[in-house]
Amino acid sequence: MIRGLWDRETVASLLVAAHLPLALFWLWYGGAEAVATVLLAALVLAGWHLVFLLARAQPPSLSGIVTALAVAVLVPQDLGAVRLVLGISFGAVMGELVFGGWGRNVVNPATVALSFLGFGFPAAPWPHVMEPVAWAALATGVLGIAAGIMPAGVFLGAALLAGVAGAAGALPAEELLAGGLVLVLLLGDPVTAAGTALGRWLHGGLYGGLLTLFALGWEGGAPVQMAVAAALLASLAAPLLDEMAITLWLARRRRRHGGT
Amino acid sequence: MARSFSFWPTLTEPLIRQNPVTLQILGLCSALAVTTSLATALTMSASLTVVLTLAAGIISLIRRHIPTTIRLIVQIVIVASLVIVIDQVLQAYLVEISRALSVYVALITTNCLVLGRTEAYASHNGVVPSMVDAFGNGLGYSLVLTIIGGVRELFGRGELLGRQVLPLAEDGGWFTPLGLMLLAPSAFFLLGLLVWAIRSVLPEQAEAAEHVPPATAEPAE
Repeated sequence: MIRGLWDRETVASLLVAAHLPLALFWLWYGGAEAVATVLLAALVLAGWHLVFLLARAQPPSLSGIVTALAVAVLVPQDLGAVRLVLGISFGAVMGELVFGGWGRNVVNPATVALSFLGFGFPAAPWPHVMEPVAWAALATGVLGIAAGIMPAGVFLGAALLAGVAGAAGALPAEELLAGGLVLVLLLGDPVTAAGTALGRWLHGGLYGGLLTLFALGWEGGAPVQMAVAAALLASLAAPLLDEMAITLWLARRRRRHGGT
Repeated sequence: MARSFSFWPTLTEPLIRQNPVTLQILGLCSALAVTTSLATALTMSASLTVVLTLAAGIISLIRRHIPTTIRLIVQIVIVASLVIVIDQVLQAYLVEISRALSVYVALITTNCLVLGRTEAYASHNGVVPSMVDAFGNGLGYSLVLTIIGGVRELFGRGELLGRQVLPLAEDGGWFTPLGLMLLAPSAFFLLGLLVWAIRSVLPEQAEAAEHVPPATAEPAE
């Protein structure tokens, strides 16, 4: 993305725009506390983007707003400002900024921050997903796919798996709502999703499969917690899935056209 | 062999500039495993330093008599004997800590740091330089273990050497322990941050970049 309209910040601003319905619904139902959380998260992220701009000349990105929203929506409750700042700092720095900023990271900074807070403070209760917010996430996903900035294959792969699991009765409604919300917020990030067509389907499928597995076998796990864990594992596997897709494609090419 | 030996640099170089853990990334297995508390980290550091120093001395003493073809076997036998002695001493006098360290004291035998120093230095140098070098490397390893162990215990439990330093929230204080610090990944994070910090201060330690970004910069928009 060097020429024309589509540079990194175009994608980031479209992502922010696509997240508006989700953000509005969530803020509407969350009230003042939600506003405070998302503002705090955005402030911390802006601070770290500024630090890395000054120290390593990495341009800051609007994608920080999406990260802040994802963290604020999914973060465990009753953590308090200090722990929140700690977790978000860890996620932003270790998940994104040390790799060179948004666009070069391997895992979504919000996923890292949420996992850090989840493992670090296991006693904090995870939020419940309200149904209207999950429907707004659907709208966000549709907008993102229509604008071409969210990976459609990931969503379809996950939806396919979730549909099969739901039809078999393995995925309760609560997990389904949390899973959908996390799918849009964390896996919809175009940077950390798999890049190839087949890889994206596999990525979404892996996420759906892991979520089903957790829903079946994770005693005492909260739905959002399961979804975040599935998102973390799936995004760690994404490069591998891409690699597999490319290897398959090369093998098919070789069979079709010959060559060594 | 006839290299001029100066005592002070040989002792202090491995502390930071040539640190075996943060520069050469050796001996990580134990460094990450035993650092959940400061006490185990200190015991492990002391054990490794003693073993390394004695092994380097013994190997250096008999270095002209070890046949080259079996030198690794001889070195491992010497190191293993010393490790067994240390392990027995720990079991006799520090039962609790010995139990907490579990197999990692015995695994000093296969610690690449020990074998690295005996093979690379002690088998080519005199007794005194070898022991000084080994002691310095042991101290470098200890330094890293102490830092990581201290940070993990402090933020994981709010304690240092078993004494409460930060008042816990459940006892009316303000500190909530960070459970993640007691899990294995935090040791990786902390070590990574430590290496990052050291290489920021001493840029000559940084490795050459594997990839160079394309020269055409994005136009400012």
